[in-house]
Amino acid sequence: MDITSTSIQPSVKRKGWSVVRRRRLVTGLLFISPWIIGFLIFTLYPMVASLYYSFTEFHVRKAPELIGFANYAELFSDKLFWTSLANTLYLVVIGVPLTLFLSFLCAVLLNLKVRGQSIYRVIFFMPSIVPTVASSLLWIWILNPSSGIVNTLLGQIGIMGPNWFRDPNWAKPALIMMGLWGMGGTIVIYLSGLQDVPTSLLEAAEIDGATWLQRLWHITIPMVSPITLFNLIIGVISTFQYFAQAYVFGTAVDTANTALGAPLNSTLFYSIYLYQNGFVYLRMGYASAMAWILFIVIMICTLLLLRTSNRWTYYAG
Amino acid sequence: MKLHKMFTHLPIWIVLSLLLVVALPTAAQDASTLVVWITWGDNPAQLQELFNRYGEANGVTVQVNAPVTEDQVIAGLSGSEPPDILVTGGPANVGSWAREELIVPLNDLLAATGLDTSEIFPAPLGQCDYDGTYYCLPWGTDTYALFWNKDLFEDAGLDPDTPPQTMEELVEFADQLTIVEADGTVSQVGFIPDFSWSHLNLYTRMFGGYWYNEDGTELTLTSQPVVDALLWEQQFYTKYGVDNVLRLTSALGGYMSPDQGFYAGKIAMMVEGEWQTGPNFIQQFKPELFYGVAPFPAPADHPERANTSVLEGTVAMIPSGSPNQEAAAALLTWMMSPEILADEMVANFNLPTTMASAEDPRFHESEKFEVFLNLMNDPNATTGIYTAINGEVDTALGQIEEQVLHAGADPVPLLEEAQAQLQPRLEETLQ
Repeated sequence: MDITSTSIQPSVKRKGWSVVRRRRLVTGLLFISPWIIGFLIFTLYPMVASLYYSFTEFHVRKAPELIGFANYAELFSDKLFWTSLANTLYLVVIGVPLTLFLSFLCAVLLNLKVRGQSIYRVIFFMPSIVPTVASSLLWIWILNPSSGIVNTLLGQIGIMGPNWFRDPNWAKPALIMMGLWGMGGTIVIYLSGLQDVPTSLLEAAEIDGATWLQRLWHITIPMVSPITLFNLIIGVISTFQYFAQAYVFGTAVDTANTALGAPLNSTLFYSIYLYQNGFVYLRMGYASAMAWILFIVIMICTLLLLRTSNRWTYYAG
Repeated sequence: MKLHKMFTHLPIWIVLSLLLVVALPTAAQDASTLVVWITWGDNPAQLQELFNRYGEANGVTVQVNAPVTEDQVIAGLSGSEPPDILVTGGPANVGSWAREELIVPLNDLLAATGLDTSEIFPAPLGQCDYDGTYYCLPWGTDTYALFWNKDLFEDAGLDPDTPPQTMEELVEFADQLTIVEADGTVSQVGFIPDFSWSHLNLYTRMFGGYWYNEDGTELTLTSQPVVDALLWEQQFYTKYGVDNVLRLTSALGGYMSPDQGFYAGKIAMMVEGEWQTGPNFIQQFKPELFYGVAPFPAPADHPERANTSVLEGTVAMIPSGSPNQEAAAALLTWMMSPEILADEMVANFNLPTTMASAEDPRFHESEKFEVFLNLMNDPNATTGIYTAINGEVDTALGQIEEQVLHAGADPVPLLEEAQAQLQPRLEETLQ
């Protein structure tokens, strides 16, 4: 007797989704619809619009005029565009790795089991909750060439401190220093990563005679490498968009027309120049083209980091 | 079960309400309410009180928002609910806004209200002229003169009652008033040409030119007056050392503080505006300061340029999107009436811009303030020339001035480069 032919019938596939499933989908979509609507109106539409405007001479009230790639062509011959890109790259190449290195170092120290550990953690995190404007103004005061605490201390050991914010060679390092003060967020992320480093590995290495430095180099750093990748990507993206500190600093240091980017365009960062074109000169088409170039540069950098990350990141899982 | 049903329908209601809110037309702006935005305003309550007088007399409500930021202004002008009157601290954007049709030409609107523009001092009114049409009105204005510290003059062996009479003499006085310490640092400086901000327009006018031709159709950045003005400024830095002067200025206190360079006796002469003679500046932060005010001196070989000044300041305009343009024009006319203009200028210690308001006795109580009034009334009173690329030109010139003064650069190649880059942009906007 052929049992298969009688008892096992291939099930008939119903076309489409069941009513319940469809209703659940609709309910789910409706629940997240505020976000979807927000994303469409406030993110996707402006992005697409800015792409279109980047090919136009944009007028605020009148219809934009299509001018092809003229904005992009003009950008490539604009000296200030290259200056702003170079200034931003300086921050990315020097500021971001320095922040990561020092954040990691602080996180390792804050992870040591010492008395008052949580107090130290709070102290290191506190600067990152100070509003940007307030911390920028505070640093302008700290770095005052004559009466600021940094130059006063340098003076006591016989060094004449630089004129931080008015010397084009020192303005960017001063901004990097200012940024390092607020690295609490990165420290916290590293701290959480350090909690996940398996103690069994550290103990095994210790039994095998590894020193603290060897354990740090061979176990801790590889184990937190995914955290480093995350911090690196976030750091690179946010540094490319560096704006608020430079804006406050520019307008507070110099009240003249050159305020944005002073001194001598050494702090003219990409977003500052973009803002200047868009909102000071009303050249929104030109600014849109700048925004898209920035988007592409950030995307390339992020992809490069992700592509090369498998050589230096280690995922225990 | 019922609760479950309600819960299932909840998101539908949320979305429907959201859509309803988005789709509903915004209530049309009430014609009995006029909105005024002012980009400055240390004392918004005083401004609101002033405008309440119009409201009470005309049965309307005037709502004053001050201070509004530059970003809010751009958003307001381009959006659907702009103010009825916008008051800005200077005319820098009038040209580009006029070109973008963000503000309306005022000639016809104001003629209908009976405002006589010939009553307004010509120099400040010139700020509002774009392409032969008025796009704003000067609601009070500012100009600059030379302030000198009489005590420091005396210490340096100079006559405290005699300010420099020529630009050349100003340089000599500055030398005598500058104190260089044994270690080479400067502890007191006679004059810093770009303190507290750039005065390149005044110096260029003194050298007999400007960076546009008279009708604003051509940039003249490489003209001799611009070059001469920059080189004249440069000497104050090169002589005492750029780093020394910058260190001194970086260490000074804020603009409104007792440590401001001139108040603190670190800078012996400065170019400053009429508001400094009022109650909110020197009188407040350094009442004991013994100082004088005089017109900025002319070059020795051009005595006919004496009393040259550049008038720039607050301007009021009507945004194109205002639904109440005629009512706004009436309000603007009221703002320019002698009594209101005088009251407002007395409150802020700025120059009244109409001839009738300038006669108010309150403006003639201070000899120092009178120096500025006379400058405004002088045939040599000028204003800037404003085009649609004013912002770019100002920034470019500011950067050139910074490179010439603070980095010792030769101005000519920098000006040539800017001229080559900006002249085509200007032509584009004129087409």
